Amino acid sequence: MAAERSAGAGGAGLVTAGIDAGIAYTKVVILKDGAVVGRGIGPTGGVDRRERIEEAYQRALEDAGLDAGEVKGVVVTGKGKHDAGFAGKRISELLATKRAVERMSPGATCLVSAGADETIVSASAGEGGAGEYAFNQKCSAGLGLFLEYMADRLSMDIGELSSLADGVAAPEASQAAEGVAIPEAAKAGEAAVNEGCVVFAELDALSLLNHGVSPADVGRAVNRAAAARVSAVINDITYPSADRVVLVGGLAKNNAFVRALETLSGIKLTVPDDAEYAGALGAALAAADSAQ
Amino acid sequence: MKNKQIWETRPLEFWDKAKELRARWQESSSDAKRVLGQGSTYDIDWAECFPAMNIVEDNPGGSMIQAKDSPYARKCRLASEIRGWGREICGYTNNLWGSMYLGYEQDGLPFPPRKFVVFMPAECDQHTKRGQQCRDFAPVPGWMSDCTIYLGEDDPVRDELFREHKVYCNFKQINDLERIFGQKFDDEKLSKMMDYSEEVIEYSRDIIMLMGRTIPSPLSVKDLYSVYTIGHLTKVDPEDTVNFWKMVRDEVQWRADNQIAAVGNERFRWVEAHPPSWHFLKYYRYMEKYGAVCLGSQYTAQNCGLLEYKPDGGIDRRVSMKYPKDTPIATREDALRMMLGPDPREPRAWKSDEYIRQDSIVEFADIMRADGALLPLWRGGVGCTLTRKEQAMRLRKAGLSVIYYEGSQPGDRTDLDEQRFLDQLDTWMESFGYEMLD
Repeated sequence: MAAERSAGAGGAGLVTAGIDAGIAYTKVVILKDGAVVGRGIGPTGGVDRRERIEEAYQRALEDAGLDAGEVKGVVVTGKGKHDAGFAGKRISELLATKRAVERMSPGATCLVSAGADETIVSASAGEGGAGEYAFNQKCSAGLGLFLEYMADRLSMDIGELSSLADGVAAPEASQAAEGVAIPEAAKAGEAAVNEGCVVFAELDALSLLNHGVSPADVGRAVNRAAAARVSAVINDITYPSADRVVLVGGLAKNNAFVRALETLSGIKLTVPDDAEYAGALGAALAAADSAQ
Repeated sequence: MKNKQIWETRPLEFWDKAKELRARWQESSSDAKRVLGQGSTYDIDWAECFPAMNIVEDNPGGSMIQAKDSPYARKCRLASEIRGWGREICGYTNNLWGSMYLGYEQDGLPFPPRKFVVFMPAECDQHTKRGQQCRDFAPVPGWMSDCTIYLGEDDPVRDELFREHKVYCNFKQINDLERIFGQKFDDEKLSKMMDYSEEVIEYSRDIIMLMGRTIPSPLSVKDLYSVYTIGHLTKVDPEDTVNFWKMVRDEVQWRADNQIAAVGNERFRWVEAHPPSWHFLKYYRYMEKYGAVCLGSQYTAQNCGLLEYKPDGGIDRRVSMKYPKDTPIATREDALRMMLGPDPREPRAWKSDEYIRQDSIVEFADIMRADGALLPLWRGGVGCTLTRKEQAMRLRKAGLSVIYYEGSQPGDRTDLDEQRFLDQLDTWMESFGYEMLD
């Protein structure tokens, strides 16, 4: 989403806003005549979510140098969409993301949206069809939150976790504590944690650390486990359309996760700039459609 | 695309009669003058044939507990769980027997002790443990017919053995109950009830056909479920049962003839699989706001046997559930053979097909003229998730849109994320361009 930011939806001077109130972060995009003129991001918070969503919105308005009164339409999406009472309309995350990907990556045949909470995979519609889509099941929800949490457990920031690509030597070798044997798989650089449940995955990760497996190797295992869950949602699509698959959402910023997902799924992924703003962009485009 | 009212809709006239019959069943369940037993007796209406005995079914009691009082249902299940009964076991059973462990029923009255148990034979989950809690508690005598199921092609020799084994199981149960409780089983009444049963099946078939083949559908499954168990699990006088289902059929026929819709803004027709989440039937109303009507499932159609296309292009029940009416009956065994029907591979009419042929749900959806399917992913209990994903694949290949929802099981709302469920319904409808009617 660069400055001139291509034109698309919108008329003369038409300003609209899109809010993606996610579980972890609220992202906001301001469009003017179809071009992105402002963005805002901030933690969504918990009991104070309404205030946090409004703060992110104000941040985006400031970035755009606009006043709320100039905005002709606000559409909200994301898990917190019920908390943004000032928005004129709510739309589902699927529709918002699809709308954004049409703009960000024309010609995409399939989108994968992986965020703090939910994973959505949507294959483009055949002739006359609405298109097939799949959500993660509940027990594999919260992947983004899980990765942030695990980075903290491993004393890394999320950027460090993201840089732990497979095949790269660990910054510090795994070293067994006295009297404790490093698991054979970990010696071969293939430490693994549970791929079905984040609670079990965390326990597995702690167990690996207890056995002297390096935090870097554990971090790789954690990234692979997250990728395995997203890959399972891709496999839920009966008619996969893998020619041009676009990955958006917060997890798209995690390079190690992206590489692991490509390896597991066998699919080359396209990651657009500002992939984490996809939901907000789609909501803003929907607002522009409605305002016209 | 906001949906506006398209067709006329009216309240159902059979509803008052349904409430009356249901109240009568409720009263009979607590009739202290009769020997009270517990069970799920699809096979025989024991209460009718043993006039001085009564059977309280595991269900709809168990699902009613969850539907009406979620905190009480949780207490019931906890009472079962702390005695070692797993959460994956049928929620209906855990609700009902949990209330026994608590010592009081939903209305606060003491739990009436049962004198015997007849377990329900079913292959779908842990129904074989049904009634075991009662026996552990009392203990009391218990019986159960074996569940006769096998995978693969039809095997006439095995079918014959199954049939005779089931006749023997039921024969023994009757004889034992007569001996232990000194009650006389009414064989003539059993024969008469078979005629009633045949009539109810015919009416049920007509109703399902009218729901599926008429646009707009004259009856939604939300309405049908309000009366669904009358005469089967909610046992009342057989003649009243037949008259009631005739009343329902006639009214649904009239509604179909006059384009009286169940959902006045019907735009989208969907089917589901197995029992719904009884504790969250709100989702039917929620979907109606989008103009979406639910036409039921293979489970709904079990009252008449699953429908299928016939070689001549017509639609009728898949299997014959009954022998010809003029089949001679000379003995109790003959009567039981008649009652159990010619197809012992139970209950193939709907459930076994989901294990053997996932295609049957596609055929059902086509007969019901459905646009989509909402399939449950249960963690356990009745209506377990076996083959659900395969069903979705086949439905999608047939051109239907399919989504899932997740939960514990129909009689247990522990794992149901209500808002996630509704959000996904929103997504489903939005993917077709539908907006909620204001």
